[in-house]
Amino acid sequence: MFDFSVVTHWVDQLLRSFLPEGWAILTEFILIGLCLLVGYAVIALVLIYVERKVCAFFQCRLGPNRVGPYGLIQSVADMIKMLTKELITINHVDKFLFNLAPYIVIIASVIAFSCLPFAKGLEIIDFNVGAFFVMAVSSMGIVGILLAGWSSNNKYSLIGAMRSGAQMISYELSIGLSILTIIVFTDTMQLSQIVANQADGWFIFKGHIPAFIAFIIYLIAGTAETNRGPFDLPEADSELTAGYHTEYSGMHFGFFYLAEYLNMFIVAGMATTLFLGGWMPLHIGGWNGFNAIMDAIPSIIWFFGKTGGLIFIIMWFKWTFPRLRIDQLLTLEWKYLLPINLVNMFLMVIVVVFDLHF
Amino acid sequence: MVQKNTYFGGLFSGLGSLLTGMKVTLREFFTRKTTECYPENRATLKMYDRFRGTLELIHNGQNEHKCIACGICEMNCPNGTIQIQSEFVTDENGKKRKILKAYRYDLGSCIFCQLCVVSCPQGALRFGTEFENAVFTREKLVKQLNHEGAVLEKKGV
Amino acid sequence: MENLKEYIEKRIPEAVEEGGEILTLKIEPGAFRELAVQLRNDFGFDYLVCMTGMDWGEKLGVIYHFRSTLSGENLVVKTEAFDRENPELFTVYDLWATAGLNEREIFDFFGIRFINHPDMRRLFLRNDWVGYPLRKDYDTGDTVNPVRLESDETLDVTPVLEAQEDGIVEEKEHVVFKDSEYVVNIGPQHPATHGVLRFRVSLEGEIVKKVDVNCGYIHRGIEKMCESMTYPQTLALTDRLDYLSAHQNRHALCMCIEKALGLEVPERAVYIRTIMDELTRVASHLLFWSTFCMDLGALTAFFYGFRDREKILNLLEETCGGRLIMNYNVIGGVMADIHPNFVKGVKDFIRYLPPMMKEYDEVFTGNIIARQRMKGIGVLTREQAISFGVTGPSGRASGWACDVRKVHPYGVYEKVAFTEIVREDGDVFGRYKVRLDEIRESLRILEQLIDAIPEGAYAVKTKPILKLPEGSYFSSVEASRGEFGVFIESRGEKNPYRMKFRSPGLPLVSVVDTLASGNKIADLIAIGGSLDYVVPDIDR
Repeated sequence: MFDFSVVTHWVDQLLRSFLPEGWAILTEFILIGLCLLVGYAVIALVLIYVERKVCAFFQCRLGPNRVGPYGLIQSVADMIKMLTKELITINHVDKFLFNLAPYIVIIASVIAFSCLPFAKGLEIIDFNVGAFFVMAVSSMGIVGILLAGWSSNNKYSLIGAMRSGAQMISYELSIGLSILTIIVFTDTMQLSQIVANQADGWFIFKGHIPAFIAFIIYLIAGTAETNRGPFDLPEADSELTAGYHTEYSGMHFGFFYLAEYLNMFIVAGMATTLFLGGWMPLHIGGWNGFNAIMDAIPSIIWFFGKTGGLIFIIMWFKWTFPRLRIDQLLTLEWKYLLPINLVNMFLMVIVVVFDLHF
Repeated sequence: MVQKNTYFGGLFSGLGSLLTGMKVTLREFFTRKTTECYPENRATLKMYDRFRGTLELIHNGQNEHKCIACGICEMNCPNGTIQIQSEFVTDENGKKRKILKAYRYDLGSCIFCQLCVVSCPQGALRFGTEFENAVFTREKLVKQLNHEGAVLEKKGV
Repeated sequence: MENLKEYIEKRIPEAVEEGGEILTLKIEPGAFRELAVQLRNDFGFDYLVCMTGMDWGEKLGVIYHFRSTLSGENLVVKTEAFDRENPELFTVYDLWATAGLNEREIFDFFGIRFINHPDMRRLFLRNDWVGYPLRKDYDTGDTVNPVRLESDETLDVTPVLEAQEDGIVEEKEHVVFKDSEYVVNIGPQHPATHGVLRFRVSLEGEIVKKVDVNCGYIHRGIEKMCESMTYPQTLALTDRLDYLSAHQNRHALCMCIEKALGLEVPERAVYIRTIMDELTRVASHLLFWSTFCMDLGALTAFFYGFRDREKILNLLEETCGGRLIMNYNVIGGVMADIHPNFVKGVKDFIRYLPPMMKEYDEVFTGNIIARQRMKGIGVLTREQAISFGVTGPSGRASGWACDVRKVHPYGVYEKVAFTEIVREDGDVFGRYKVRLDEIRESLRILEQLIDAIPEGAYAVKTKPILKLPEGSYFSSVEASRGEFGVFIESRGEKNPYRMKFRSPGLPLVSVVDTLASGNKIADLIAIGGSLDYVVPDIDR
């Protein structure tokens, strides 16, 4: 299987060959930062297009089909529109916080995005508390959302932000516990190590029942964490028009919009890494021919394929279910997900201690 | 049957209902889509023949219409959509006759109540199925329905 | 009716009888309030069908249409205010809650002020409107009420007339919202109000404390316009009231005019009208289902409903020439005979819909989230429903069998077998379920009628200008969202002296405050969606 570290090492060697070490590292930072942002933007555009098409197909519609063949460059056109739109300055808002909020949201999501192991040897930040770091960073976005709602000086925005606060803090717990369940199982928080440990079988198969329950809970809590339907209360369009980003225009709105899609990608990517073996191909013990074919598929395709599958499921949720009410949302978390999660973690401890896994 | 009021009963029946819903949407995902690509299907798109698009003064092949400028449609119109301009001419027999000069119709204020068509004693009007009526200014919605140079259809010809 | 007549003569000698189809009483304003209390409590007239403000030329007054939900008897009471300059009447708001908004409407149009009514603001027009437009001496020129470009200030206090113990009437002020309250505008531009309707909602966190309905954003003065139109012309406007029950509205007006003229409608036309009414009802309920799902956040369900509603609209367009504004009923019959494909199309549709209804149940009705959001929310009791005059599916969900098709059958409803869906729960789920079940009943009616359309003429010929004999006429039909009534007072001219539409929508918005208070914002949206009001019908 192709190892991307070959490429990165080659670039590293090349830069070091004609630059002093400090400059070489700086250049690499800039290059990586650029690649990251481009990757971020491209994935967001693709996701927006895919969401529109998927949503349309669920709804017996054709979806975008005007701009480009099958509407392929619709989201590019939308991006250009968004970039050229005016940022309307609004009276009676807290200008500093109002302008700061979208950046907090987008930065939190870019950092979390940069932690994902996309393919073999293609990891940007990989240190020993990786899983913990992703959680910490991705929950920073909530600050941005709360600030956006508060500084907008709009009643809808405020209600949206408050809902979002209650929701994210609650569901963070479930996400944390389900990740913890896997960490108990795999014995490491380093994302590359977690992937490597799944070489002989994905955790969802290896950890069977507790891992599967943790996976389901992670998926539900992750959807809630990204403020997507059916958990889109903070922006519930039929109640609060657009919730916390009601007052935003132009690219500031665009940041919220991008971050929402990328957060979905991050949630799906993390689920892939933790439960579905990251970029590891599917191996079945004993089927050597099958395993060889699976190995031939590049690791990056494995990662994006699995993530794409999960994203489809998250979209499928959104376009099937009605929105929850705030009390239902909290009931689901505190009365169902949290206790089940705790029991599940205990179950996982038993599985690990008595070596009941495969 | 799972007990719905117990903790786990409620959980599983709830999950079951969610999965049923997802099954339906997935089925619809693969069925034929119901929307149409409108400007592309213009050639095949046919409106129902009773569709009320715009008012038309019926003209025959010889550029003749049946309007005798009696003004009943103008009177019946609840919105003042129709304006008839007529003039008196003397025909070959020396009789003075009222003929239609201009039949003005304001599509912008028409409410398509069909009273003009129903009340016309000559059957000179009808609603056409033309529906692409968008224009840039309101003035363009005011139309003259009698064609240039059109004359009254002769009876018994 | 004879009993009632004698009884009233004995008990309330002040009331003067007038001739007419329905027993009509005329009473002095001083004795009116006492009569009203007796009618409500002793005679069982618990349902105030319609309140019509009137300008009789010399005097202003109100016509009340009462109905007893027990015996089904109708009664009309007329009363006039003493003073044209400063007309005042006693409110009946505490007896029939539906009078709350109706009296405000009458104040708005005629300037009659109701003593002891807690909220005497204008209902539809701006607060700075000059004059009372439905008075006959109102100046319709542009100079009195020019198009104003500045925004209308929303008042938090309302003037109130309060009768003291000694009988003296005092002007007071009533506070709607205190300064300390957190008031949020839901509307006039809001995705969940289904049009330009504005709720001012006082919130405490997520909990709704109070809802104040502000209507009139799409008020077109249809009743006033009708006064200057000939009868055939007025028909065109009814389609534009509740545009989702265009056909039924027009049916009501045609019936009222035909009744006044004594016109016999051909059997074929009656059948066609009934079929069209039911098709419209199915289309309207499908739209309800779609928009209700959308309000609750299930966007996909919305499209499924619209996909199926489209099939009905195609059928209607093929025969009537219009999809929404069908323009099909005319005085004396229908505009044109049914299209040759119509019967087949309806039969196909009757076969097509039931599997789709199963899909609706699977995707939404059974859904645990939806069920929890609907059950037990916004309970309207039977007494409240009657008092507020909430008819139609919403009233029937509260256990009130108020279907006009059963109470006063018209069309061919007497000849078909169908069940009036009545539920006892009265909550959002009840209102939702009644509509879904009514679709099935409507399909049943269609199935019975579609093959039974008799041969014959589809309309009788009428003159383009009709003069109704002097008198007042009232008829009502079961529109998609409740009882739609038409009241015409004719002075024998070619246009009506007064034409009043009893809209099913106004009572529906008047209960929003009662239902939503104490619930959450999301419930307010669900309650609004389940009541299924249509704004042009409220505002008229």
